[in-house]
Amino acid sequence: MTDRDDLDMLAAEFVLGTLDARERATVAARRKSESDLDEMITAWEQRLTTLTDEVMPVTPAPELYQRIEQHIDALDTPRAGANTDSDDKSNVIALHKRLRRWQWSTALASAAAMVLVAVLAFQPAPEQGPQSFVAVFQQNDQQPAFMLSVDLTNRQMQIRPVTAEPMQGKSYQMWIKADSLGPNPRSLGVLNDNLKLERAALRDYDPELLKEATFGISVEPEGGSPTGQPTGPAIHGYLYPIADEGSQPSH
Amino acid sequence: MSEPFSSPTTGRAPSGAESPSIPVPPDQLSQLIKGVAAKDRSAFAALYEATAPKLLGTIIRILNNRGWAEEVVHDTYIKIWRKADQFDASKASAMTWMITIARNGAIDELRKQPANRKAPEDELEQLASKEPNAQSQVEDQQTVNQLNLCLEELEKDRRDMVRLAYLNGWSRADLATHFDQPVNTVKTWLHRALKQLKGCLTS
Repeated sequence: MTDRDDLDMLAAEFVLGTLDARERATVAARRKSESDLDEMITAWEQRLTTLTDEVMPVTPAPELYQRIEQHIDALDTPRAGANTDSDDKSNVIALHKRLRRWQWSTALASAAAMVLVAVLAFQPAPEQGPQSFVAVFQQNDQQPAFMLSVDLTNRQMQIRPVTAEPMQGKSYQMWIKADSLGPNPRSLGVLNDNLKLERAALRDYDPELLKEATFGISVEPEGGSPTGQPTGPAIHGYLYPIADEGSQPSH
Repeated sequence: MSEPFSSPTTGRAPSGAESPSIPVPPDQLSQLIKGVAAKDRSAFAALYEATAPKLLGTIIRILNNRGWAEEVVHDTYIKIWRKADQFDASKASAMTWMITIARNGAIDELRKQPANRKAPEDELEQLASKEPNAQSQVEDQQTVNQLNLCLEELEKDRRDMVRLAYLNGWSRADLATHFDQPVNTVKTWLHRALKQLKGCLTS
């Protein structure tokens, strides 16, 4: 068997899905710099994707699209205050940023936003866009287990149990995962007996990163994961902006 | 064992009904992706409506956990929004491109947290009762027929392995347990099956 055959089989198993997590991460990284591996993977995707023809479509819950849109709203909003050192470059850019920041604060009223563009252009930008976010951790379709609220301005967070309860001999541990942090989640800490975590647990993370991050809470042996990675079942949440009434233009 | 976060799909009514499959012409999907690349929200909404049920179905089959699957669908559409400008219609069909993003997300998740998946009892029956769709959403009919013909040429066990891995997300270890073979043997079988498939598809 030649090296090229080996590489093709690696590509094939990557597409088939049979590699373990570590091997998958390695191949995903390698294909960025190895064009022949990348082409082999694309060729296998072409060969195998028709297998999904037999998969029955399932209609997503209607709220899913709203959550995705909110996530995109947050992604497309420049960091609040980021234009302070670039104000002199272009009024157009500044206005654009101001407008988008405003749209974000009224993410649910985007249609109205289009109408009010002209009015807004003459309004002073609010000093600070809304920086309050919330994430809900659900253990099933009905009941949230935890809620996380985050204030990005001062990177303070608060985790609140909703239906989750302390468990004998087990601990809840909170995790953060983002593309820029690499493939593995990082621990934000182990929740205490009252299911709380210190409010400054996010202090080391950039607000932009936090907006895109996935948060997870896993059940671990008492005191936290022995491996530094989640070992028990986990639930996930994303941050969604809360429209901040106080910072909306009043016109 | 107390696993408050595990959420088996069995026994829980899905919150959305299965939708009839309405194939959207591939050209139209490619156009919508171009619109998404230009950050056109209405194109994004139309693309979502046309493709989300297929992606969710694909991911549910792998994760067998609806809540978890919807999270991966969420991630998938965020990636589609961000990477739409990288879509190249000359390299892959729109559906292939999106299904690839969805499957990669689902399998990455599954390999990291295999315990979250609960194997349904009817998994193998589901595999056996497979009926080729009358009309493909993914590729042209010739491509579909060819893949089916080539799969038929494989020995049954190897064909099942390929489909259980690709469609249901089974790992080498899952396959080894089910087929009662060492993992290395499974790997060898998989490689033979994949090479045979490739040879057949190329001929």
